[in-house]
Amino acid sequence: MGSISLKKINKSFGSTEVLKNINLDIEDGEFLILIGPSGCGKSTLLNLIAGLEDLTSGEIVIDGLDVSGESPKDRDIAMVFQSYALYPTMNVARNICFGLEMNKVPKNEQKAILKKVSEVLQIDHLLERKPGQLSGGQRQRVAMGRALARSPKVFLFDEPLSNLDAKLRVEMRTEIKKLHKRIGTTIVYVTHDQIEAMTLADRIAVLKDGKLEQLGTPYEIYNDPVSHFVADFMGSPGMNFIECIVKDENLIVESSGQKYELSIPCTDALNNSNLDVVLLGIRPEMLTEIQPTVVENSFIHQIEFDVEVIEPMGADTVVIGQWNGTEVIARLSPESGKTAGKGFILQVDTSNAILFDPNTGLRIR
Amino acid sequence: MNRHILTNINIGRVMIYLILLFFALIYLAPLYVMFTTSLKGIEEIRSGNLMALPVDPTFYAWAKAWSSACTGSECKGLAPYFWNSVRIVFPAVIISTIIGAFNGYSLAKWKFKGSELLFGALLFGCFIPFQVILLPMAKLLGSLGLANTVTGLVMVHVIYGVAFTTLFFRNYYVGIPTELVRAAKLDGAGFFAIFRHIFLPLSTPIFVVTIIWQFTQIWNDFLFGVVYSGSGTQPITVALNNLVNTSVGGKEYNVDMAAAIIAALPTLVVYVIAGKYFVRGLTAGAVKG
Amino acid sequence: MFNFLEKNLPKIVLAPTTIVMIVCMYGFIVWTGLLSLTKSRMMPQWEFVGLDQYVRLFNNPRWHVAVDNLFIFLILFILIALVLGLLLAIFLDQKIRNEGVIRTIYLYPMAISFIVTGTAWKWILNPGLGIEKLVNDLGFVGFEFRWLVESDMAIYTIVIAAVWQSSGFVMALFLAGLRGVDDNLTKAAKIDGASTIRLYWHIILPLMRPVFFSAIVILTHIAIKSFDLVQALTGGGPGYSSDLPANFMYTYSFNRAQIGVGAASAMIMLFGVLAVLIPYLYSELREKKT
Repeated sequence: MGSISLKKINKSFGSTEVLKNINLDIEDGEFLILIGPSGCGKSTLLNLIAGLEDLTSGEIVIDGLDVSGESPKDRDIAMVFQSYALYPTMNVARNICFGLEMNKVPKNEQKAILKKVSEVLQIDHLLERKPGQLSGGQRQRVAMGRALARSPKVFLFDEPLSNLDAKLRVEMRTEIKKLHKRIGTTIVYVTHDQIEAMTLADRIAVLKDGKLEQLGTPYEIYNDPVSHFVADFMGSPGMNFIECIVKDENLIVESSGQKYELSIPCTDALNNSNLDVVLLGIRPEMLTEIQPTVVENSFIHQIEFDVEVIEPMGADTVVIGQWNGTEVIARLSPESGKTAGKGFILQVDTSNAILFDPNTGLRIR
Repeated sequence: MNRHILTNINIGRVMIYLILLFFALIYLAPLYVMFTTSLKGIEEIRSGNLMALPVDPTFYAWAKAWSSACTGSECKGLAPYFWNSVRIVFPAVIISTIIGAFNGYSLAKWKFKGSELLFGALLFGCFIPFQVILLPMAKLLGSLGLANTVTGLVMVHVIYGVAFTTLFFRNYYVGIPTELVRAAKLDGAGFFAIFRHIFLPLSTPIFVVTIIWQFTQIWNDFLFGVVYSGSGTQPITVALNNLVNTSVGGKEYNVDMAAAIIAALPTLVVYVIAGKYFVRGLTAGAVKG
Repeated sequence: MFNFLEKNLPKIVLAPTTIVMIVCMYGFIVWTGLLSLTKSRMMPQWEFVGLDQYVRLFNNPRWHVAVDNLFIFLILFILIALVLGLLLAIFLDQKIRNEGVIRTIYLYPMAISFIVTGTAWKWILNPGLGIEKLVNDLGFVGFEFRWLVESDMAIYTIVIAAVWQSSGFVMALFLAGLRGVDDNLTKAAKIDGASTIRLYWHIILPLMRPVFFSAIVILTHIAIKSFDLVQALTGGGPGYSSDLPANFMYTYSFNRAQIGVGAASAMIMLFGVLAVLIPYLYSELREKKT
């Protein structure tokens, strides 16, 4: 059905290389997220799959067919755009059916499809309206309806939720996920929002400067990033990075004027790297108040911490202080957050801590 | 204190209104003079003055200007030339507008290597003084057998009007999101289908602006008319100039003014009906002037 | 095949325009340029004589009158139209009642051709029956106003008519510019205690720089091409005292059968336009890039 295979994709605009040797296999029915900072080439890659841009070199195979030179309409794909790109002079019904009309689907069939699609998306009461008369969320639904109507092999989403307000974005996110469950069609989805990526994806492809930095499940990307870049990109609040001196397989951390030695996993790799200074990566949720239930082991440390800023988030409270002169974020329960201040005792769990080479940004493992 | 400021402001505003009104009268004066003069008899013109209302209004001058005044050696009034202008303006406006629409659509939404350069080169065409192409164009019309013909004039107006119409449409279409084109491409629509179903329905304002602009430009043209028309194919501007400069049997200023109003009437009517679009065209075509 | 056609449709659509543009604009400019280097008189003769025609052109007193006239016309026309247009725009921008009507009145001359404009003003300025008589009738018996028939004044009648025709357009340009000024800016200035005059002089006028710029370019362009107005108002006369280069070019090319000189004068006009245009386009493009 809708498998996609990208082979050695290169794309340049003039002398700027936008994509460099991208290889990526997307399985049929998979929900793949392309993520990266702006300018990383993720939208270009999506446009290449759609056929809206021409490849510089490489091959795109959809469902076993090489479509590299085909025009968009011969690729059997549908796309939802960031701006929705609804045809402003047509009403909702014609917007949804326009693709069918262009492909000469008989009128009565069009009607049947329109009925089904508009019911699924709960827009059947809007069919006579023009896009200008719709709210942001309704436009989003119509844009999806237009894509659905064609029942293509692949759906492409180009930052579809970025124009919605925060609450609606969460709602639509859930809805897209439900929709994917229901129809099971392959989806390639571009976003720069790491929460969207984590919640929606079967697999996430992280792009950086036109290169595929890492491809993996959300769990892998979050817990096992290959580089400082990926680790930094995923998670909110983001991972803490502290430059530390290495001493006998431990890392020296200075907090609240005192020096601590943190023991870490992956000591073999650390020894092999022969580095005197490494970048310690540790997620805020590993820095908490003292948890009475936790099993004592060598990775659990207690550290005095001078809290400088307290930011209650509701479900938990984020506090900020310094280690080795670098800002560090810890995640406390709301109750502990209230009492946090100078000399707060922090429990630090380093069992999931990871290390990076400070020069290359690559993982030490 | 407060009242003092209030009166100050009021005096200022009164001054502004007076100045604006004064200039409005100045701008209107020539039209008033033209109109009143055209209704006067020649005796009244000689004895009265410019601003006086006609004592005994007569349409003599209008009738003569329309159907029997001399424009050079012919004495058939402006009527035949009015219809010449109509025969030149309509095809030239329609053809140049349609070509401009497709050109503008291509340049705005189907960019290719060199399309920006092409647009720049075309834009430049809006600025050249036409004197620089007068001689070779005369030669070309001659060798095509179109010298002194309405067809030839239509051709010239189309050729040198397309730069403007393309500019208008291109600048308008650039403002329509490109994602619409992309969406339509994925929906299976091609170049013409996208134009017809998506761009055309959005284009009414720019069509009106362009048509009004072209209509005014071509109706008011004198240079091409005087150079490329023959005795039977002159547009109204050329005929008006001839009429004014022909003084067989004494100067009849009332006839001159009636003729001038007849020549100006179509564009004035368009301006009064669709002034909003007229102004938009002027500012959009601000590169021209 | 079908794919090829589909991919190249935009180019195919633009092809005729491109070809015609290359031939009828750039080709013709080259043609005129070459012609100006030949000894052509009545008909084109392709015998090259270098810059002879330009030498003849610049030795021709009539050309000098035309060029001098152009400078007088250009400077006065642009200056008066700019000042008038700007002032009217500023006054109109004071939340005036019936603004639409007044704007319509200021702008209607722009819809009228230069030929009609010239015809009308020829009558108004008529020595004997026009303004002169009007003022005489008002009691100023000695008043004389005969610029139209005075060699050294005729060019100023063209300035008057051209200002009447085009200043409304300048007003519209400035009005559009003034409407584009951020409201918060004027509010902030008023809160800072700036008077209305200071507000316009120090804050709003500097913002109108691009409008000044494009208005000047447009008015220059109108002025250089002005041909019909002279033709209708003074016929270049008395004598050739109110000729502009465009009229000179027309007369020599089509009435005097000296197309070599005509072509040379056309080329000089083109260079004149380019001298204004190139800096303008350069700055426009630079602005767009930043």
